[in-house]
Amino acid sequence: MIALVGPPNSGKTTLFNRLTGLRQKVANYPGVTVEQHLGMVNLYDGRQASLVDLPGVHGFSARTLDERVTRDVLEGKIEGMRSPDALILIVDVTRLEAQLMLVEPVLEMDLPTLLVLNMVDELEARGGSIDQEVLAERLGVDVVRTSARTGIGVEEVRAYLHKVACGDTSVEHIERELSNLAGSRALPVIDAFAARRRLVRSVVQDAGFASPRPSRLTEKLDSVFLHKVWGPTIFLAVVLLVFQSIFTWAVPLMDGIDWIVGTSGEWIAAALPDTWYRSLIVDGVWAGVGSVIIFLPQILVLFLFLGILEDSGYMARAAVIADRTMYRLGLQGRAFLPLLSGYACSVPAILAARTIEDERDRLATIFVTPFMTCSARLPVYAILIAAFIPNEPVLGPIMNQQAATLLGLYGLGVVAAIGTAFLLKRTLLKASPTSFLMELPPYRIPAPRTLLLRLLDRSKIFLRRAGRIIFAVAIVLWVLTQFPRAQGGPPDIEQSALGTIGHVIEPVIEPLGFDWRIGIGIVTSLAAREVIVGTLGTIYGVEEADEESLALQEILRRDIEPGAAIGLLVFFAFALQCMSTVAVMRRETAGWKWPALQFFYMLLLGYLGAFISFRIF
Amino acid sequence: MQLPAVAEQAHIEDLRLGDVPMQQEVELVSIDLPVELAEPLLERGVLPGCRICPVQSSPGGDPVVSVDGSLLALRRETADCLCVRLVSPFQDVG
Repeated sequence: MIALVGPPNSGKTTLFNRLTGLRQKVANYPGVTVEQHLGMVNLYDGRQASLVDLPGVHGFSARTLDERVTRDVLEGKIEGMRSPDALILIVDVTRLEAQLMLVEPVLEMDLPTLLVLNMVDELEARGGSIDQEVLAERLGVDVVRTSARTGIGVEEVRAYLHKVACGDTSVEHIERELSNLAGSRALPVIDAFAARRRLVRSVVQDAGFASPRPSRLTEKLDSVFLHKVWGPTIFLAVVLLVFQSIFTWAVPLMDGIDWIVGTSGEWIAAALPDTWYRSLIVDGVWAGVGSVIIFLPQILVLFLFLGILEDSGYMARAAVIADRTMYRLGLQGRAFLPLLSGYACSVPAILAARTIEDERDRLATIFVTPFMTCSARLPVYAILIAAFIPNEPVLGPIMNQQAATLLGLYGLGVVAAIGTAFLLKRTLLKASPTSFLMELPPYRIPAPRTLLLRLLDRSKIFLRRAGRIIFAVAIVLWVLTQFPRAQGGPPDIEQSALGTIGHVIEPVIEPLGFDWRIGIGIVTSLAAREVIVGTLGTIYGVEEADEESLALQEILRRDIEPGAAIGLLVFFAFALQCMSTVAVMRRETAGWKWPALQFFYMLLLGYLGAFISFRIF
Repeated sequence: MQLPAVAEQAHIEDLRLGDVPMQQEVELVSIDLPVELAEPLLERGVLPGCRICPVQSSPGGDPVVSVDGSLLALRRETADCLCVRLVSPFQDVG
């Protein structure tokens, strides 16, 4: 196995994709909170080498989750994963000196290493140069020049992998003055870094490195994107564009998936004999899994946008612009990306928070992320608003009451997130002042290959994570509606095990104006929020209940008091009705403490919010 | 005019990265931060002796600096903890 390491924005993943193409998968290892991207590289003699793409890091001090994982993989400390046979260190050659700060800790691993000088075309275009032979000689490693974007030099990397597979590499101990200096951990940390830097300086000077001219394009774009007036304006426009894309462009795709799931469900129903398992497969599993797949287009559209923003270099600027405001709220600029992603789905959003270096900042960010109005809340909001809120104009013709309510619910989530972050940073996650440091990579045109492969990757993760849970819950729910049997068939919903559960929790939710039916809805929607719509449809016996069902709206209006309906909206704005989020929180915090705290805190907030709404309205 | 050595010393210690005007290249003298906050800077090559040049200011008033051909965005609170001294643009880098 060969490991690919490098600083963020060095083109690591682009090279990985060039080498492995579609022959890659995301692997999970026990106890590891970060997925390993594993890929197979075809060698010349029909053999394959396995390559692992590690998170981008600046060092191995294990300060961030990403650094910890990278170090553990390199040291072979991951259970079920071999320690690497060789390393590929990839750096952005246009920023060679800063990026080579990694070379010393990498060489200390004492593994055969290939140094990849990436983006060499950009270096030359901006008038820079480097003598790779001297570099190879001084560092005692193989060096190749590449442009992963255009494919230059990728074959040479493959040739190196071939050499490793043939056992044709060794570790040379040419330049090891560094180990004597920096290797002794007794030295104060600053001296160790100074030694690292001296090595980099001398090596780079010997290799005749001529720095490229500063990128004119980057200078020009930054003077606009970080401008006092244009900067925040463009920032807001970008945020609005992302929202717009989630809510309008993804809708036709979602309707399409809805249709496919519905139609194929009917086919399956027609193909199966009319026995007990037909209902399990069609109503339980198929409908349950379908209710998750429907969010895939939104997630894909969101990640396409985020991918373009990240690969072009704009996301780093957006984080800088957001940092001042976020800092006042107790968060930091890097929290911007996860929080924005949270409007589609908390699961990938929580994963996106890994780049936050400060652990307390990261915890605070992922703790408040589920307050962002994710797309699973929308069907719930849609049906309750349509049923209870009159469609009358407020503020003249600009907005009606329904739209205002929806906007209010979004606002409620933001306020809850801000309040919670503020509270956390003054109590549990109290810390001395943190710093924020963001490297601004040069602006580049994103590579479509990399974007597409990442989309594929994201959708696989989403489907697997969410799919498993929904699959299990769908089966459990179905079983609960089928027993105890009445005259050899399924019982009325009120007499079923599920109905009994609803009646058991009724006293608890009575102060909110909810009856046992809503109770069941709340219980089933613990799996995923939107499940409540289908559940209420089942309970009230409305066929094909979705958020546009007029029949269901009619029954709800008759059966629920307006105050309770508003209470239910508020409950869903706050409560963590999502097992996928709980599961991902447990993985990302390596324990139950944070997800449990988050779950009960948000439940309490939802309960109080619903109680107050019921009393007021 | 030649300033007295003592005054010059005081002047040097007073100059922080946060006070440096745009496009004025300076040399980092010391980092007045606890290790855990200094380490991310050190890892990116921001060490005493390196050349830093503020090139841009974010809308929030935080500096973007150029170090070794890389652009780094800092908070002004961090920039105020970096002690720097002026260097002549013609002085040999080394």
